[in-house]
Amino acid sequence: MTTTASVVAFDQVSKAYDAVRAVDGLTLDLSPGQTVALLGPNGAGKSTTLDLLLGLKKPDSGTVRLFGTSPRDAIVAGRVGAMLQSGGLMDEVTVAELVRLACDLHPKPYRPSEVLSRAGIAQIADRKVNKLSGGQAQRVRFALATAGDSDLIVLDEPTTGMDVTTRQAFWATMREQAEQGRTVLFATHYLEEADAVADRVLVLHRGRLLADGTAAEIKARAGARRVSFDVEGALDEPALRALPFLTGIDISGRTVRIQSADADATVHALYGLGVYPRNLEVAGLGLEQAFVAITTAEEAKSK
Amino acid sequence: MNSLIKLELARALRNRKFLFFSVIYPSVLFLITAGNADSTTKVPGSGLTLPTYMMVSMASFGALTAVLMGNSERIAKEREGGWVRQLRLTTLPGRGYVLAKTASAAVVSLPSIVIVFAVAAAVKDVRLDAWQWLALTGAIWAGSLVFAALGVAIGYLATGDAVRPITMITYFGLSMLGGLWMPTTTFPDWLQDIAKWLPTHAYAALGQAIEQSRAPHVQDLAVLVVSFVLFAGGAAWLYRKDTLKA
Repeated sequence: MTTTASVVAFDQVSKAYDAVRAVDGLTLDLSPGQTVALLGPNGAGKSTTLDLLLGLKKPDSGTVRLFGTSPRDAIVAGRVGAMLQSGGLMDEVTVAELVRLACDLHPKPYRPSEVLSRAGIAQIADRKVNKLSGGQAQRVRFALATAGDSDLIVLDEPTTGMDVTTRQAFWATMREQAEQGRTVLFATHYLEEADAVADRVLVLHRGRLLADGTAAEIKARAGARRVSFDVEGALDEPALRALPFLTGIDISGRTVRIQSADADATVHALYGLGVYPRNLEVAGLGLEQAFVAITTAEEAKSK
Repeated sequence: MNSLIKLELARALRNRKFLFFSVIYPSVLFLITAGNADSTTKVPGSGLTLPTYMMVSMASFGALTAVLMGNSERIAKEREGGWVRQLRLTTLPGRGYVLAKTASAAVVSLPSIVIVFAVAAAVKDVRLDAWQWLALTGAIWAGSLVFAALGVAIGYLATGDAVRPITMITYFGLSMLGGLWMPTTTFPDWLQDIAKWLPTHAYAALGQAIEQSRAPHVQDLAVLVVSFVLFAGGAAWLYRKDTLKA
């Protein structure tokens, strides 16, 4: 394990396709042992960022270093295991054969049987790779990424095509990997995954880093909290809409949902109206809403 | 890299259709083309009997099938599917993928050559000296590298959809016009003039020179060498372009 050098270091990295700047002056630094989510809508530059990180693409400007060396050198040293989003597999061979190949190619390999069972594919080891379901193929890709004792595991949209149970099992395995001191970096658009799994969330939008912090910090940065309640008796809509600190309101039947920049003040004013709110709930925005809030704010700024 | 070669080979040996067309089919075709010929009919201008002449053509054809057919299509598909990218995330050196494909094809092409020889000797009484058998095997086997390079180049040139027709046209065009299916002496003159510049023609001519116990024509050797340089150079160039783009 490395102690001094950062695991991943991007310094002012840019990559453009024709006129589109897929990654735009990205600077970031990952330390050992972190589980990091790379979050962003489609086209935010997640896959390009991972391609640059893994040395599959060369940046137009800036530098990418893994463990203080080039991505290729880090891969050859067996420090990186990666699972690509569209990571095609060699077909007409069995799952076990493919995993054995991945172990053979890794400088610090695990035993193939270990890798198979950890990825939860021991039962389908004899099946042909081209006969697998989407979720099974995804687990085979995961097995290839964890065929050896790598220090950094990179996963691009790892749970695509997995059902809920498989997904949970997958993240449990991933957490084990992180607990052993590995750095795990994954791109996702499942925000609850980033929320539940990552101790650091990078929000990427149009190739730039919009936010970098814990899931809670990102949510706090979006600012708003959510207030919801049911109204008994008369519902005075204009009065509700006039509540202080309101950033959004949605009334359906007797249920009112409010977004507020200062939930305490809003609720205080609510009682002042003489309304008796039933089933009152005050909660922080989910990461998803926070994410939407941050990206829409950014869109508004750039217009 | 050895493990990838082993796996590529295991996969090739499991593919019955591929094995039939590269290992069995050339022998069948030999029996059909040379079947009615008696052992005294000579192919004009060569001094060789038809079975002797066609034996080299068909062994060359078999080797061509083994190295060209499977690889171009697989490379194009695996490039598109992302397997090539996945391999770039392993310790396998960049060239390893192509070398493993070529090596596994070379292992399949050897039996396709030897089986045509065995059938020709057993059924059509083709007799040659021991050194000729060995030299023939070596020359046809080594010569197949020219077409292995062509297969790799096509695999990096074509998309997954287009690769099959492109390979087929190249394969049938080279086989037929190069005289692997029938002696080019049966062609009209203008077609013979074209045929003698094809690498497949030079390839078979190399084997026939060994059968005639004479040195190969300089032109044939030159055609093969130039073809190899062109195909391998093209493959390397396309490979590098693909790697930068990926």
